[in-house]
Amino acid sequence: MDFAFLSVVELGRLLREKKTTAAELAAYFLDRLERIGPRFNAVVTVTRERALAEAAQADREIHQGIGRGPLHGVPYGVKDLIATKDYPTTWGAEPYRQQKLDADATVVERLGAAGAVLVAKLAMVELAGGMGYNQPNASFTGPGKTPWNPGYWSGGSSSGPGAAVAAGLVPFAIGSETSGSILTPAAYCGVTGLRPTYGLVSRHGAMALAWTMDKLGPLARSAEDCAIVLQAIVGRDPKDPSSVGRGFRPLPLTPSPSGRGGTKWRIGIPKGADKDIQPEVAANFRAALKVLGDRVDIVEDVELPDLPYGAVAGLIIAAEGASAFDDLLKDGRLSQLTAPEDRTGGYPALAVSAPDYLRALRVRRPMQRALDEFLKKFDALAVPTRNTVATPLDKSFRDGWPGVTGGANVIGPTNVVGVPGVSVPNGFGVQGLPTGLSFTARAFDEAKLVTLAQLYQDRTDWHTRRPPID
Amino acid sequence: MDISRREFAERLALVAAAPWFLEDLKPAQHQQQAQEPTGLAKALTEAVRLRYPDRFSADDLTAITRSIDGRLHAIERLYQTTLTNADEPDFVYSVYRGAD
Repeated sequence: MDFAFLSVVELGRLLREKKTTAAELAAYFLDRLERIGPRFNAVVTVTRERALAEAAQADREIHQGIGRGPLHGVPYGVKDLIATKDYPTTWGAEPYRQQKLDADATVVERLGAAGAVLVAKLAMVELAGGMGYNQPNASFTGPGKTPWNPGYWSGGSSSGPGAAVAAGLVPFAIGSETSGSILTPAAYCGVTGLRPTYGLVSRHGAMALAWTMDKLGPLARSAEDCAIVLQAIVGRDPKDPSSVGRGFRPLPLTPSPSGRGGTKWRIGIPKGADKDIQPEVAANFRAALKVLGDRVDIVEDVELPDLPYGAVAGLIIAAEGASAFDDLLKDGRLSQLTAPEDRTGGYPALAVSAPDYLRALRVRRPMQRALDEFLKKFDALAVPTRNTVATPLDKSFRDGWPGVTGGANVIGPTNVVGVPGVSVPNGFGVQGLPTGLSFTARAFDEAKLVTLAQLYQDRTDWHTRRPPID
Repeated sequence: MDISRREFAERLALVAAAPWFLEDLKPAQHQQQAQEPTGLAKALTEAVRLRYPDRFSADDLTAITRSIDGRLHAIERLYQTTLTNADEPDFVYSVYRGAD
């Protein structure tokens, strides 16, 4: 049976109806990871022994009538900055290639408790991009390649999770985002990515780049699958003081999501969102809004509060990243990184003063309030996830698509304040490469985002398209 | 696309976090490259060099200077946002007391 591109929901149904077993699924995806994974530089470690043991346990439980929910027996992968005992956790970086951590991250524990089966540690940009890489070749596993056209990047820094889900190597994966690292690979690989609100998912056991901005979240075939995964991994964790216990429950597809009594979603389009971007990206964005036409009220040209998002994000990530990797800076092992620009990229942060860093953290509080007041006016903002399709592998980001200078920067501001976002595939652009549509909402409004994305995916089939790889 | 020096500096700071935003920078970057880094940026680069005297090539130091210079301009904007003494950083220190 061809399991490669089935959703979590479909795989779960096959397992419950005993039309397959967890062992069969694990073996199937392990084979694909080993056979196809190297073509896209998507995999660091295939966790074969662990996968087969977890699958055998899931089969025993299912046989005994013990149900752990919709992920029971379903394989998955994690970005290789998430700790797993017994296998290396490399952070995508040569200095940590042999690193072994002695415990599972909380997110892995929670997926294990939900009966999911870990099959792979997936590739990533070294140190999650914290040293300032400016081209795709920035990992000891080589540049991530999108399965839609392997001459192009799979995005970063969750390059492996994006490519692995797109290539049918895993049904879902866990990535991380400090500033764009889930949504970008989701867009470049044509999959669905959900960046949760900061704190909703425990970061314990995940590599820190910026403690106050890092988030973990799912990449999968659909918003529905992302919601299932998110439900399994949210919750307060005493090991992560920033975690919150709000939980997550998907909304029913009601006609009045905002509770305003109307029947339409109120969607804000930031000014310039589709101006001076690749024409195909702009066209796909407008077509997507049209698909939702009868269910949304579009408010054009909305403007985010004028605040120094970029300065705050840059300073926080620089300072926190330099501190998180102060051992690499001190002993000079940055020189072992793959991307030449990463070998010096951490040093400028040594010139950030403590008062300036604290100023950024002080400015962030009114920034959060202002952006929340702004987002309150809408059910969601919508933008093209990226203003171009994926970057060519042999070009710097600056030179990848010369002349494309427009679009609205929503990824930066929303990551600074920690609100959630989702990216869904919404068509194809040049070179057969996918494009993405993003929705962003207030803190802890993941349910709205998932419902809106699901509404879009109920009316389109972009998320079911398969890249030409088999 | 014409952007101001202030906007450029902010974007440059963002680049450190999310390098793919570089695609937005191209026209302005040429302007920036033509500008001489500030004395403060050069002095801070020298401080970095003194910390690790044998580690950097001339090209490395040029890149570090440019990055520090961009960030210094971005930082200016942080101080244009009005704050009072009561505006605290958005983290909370919690005192710890272990088991008796």
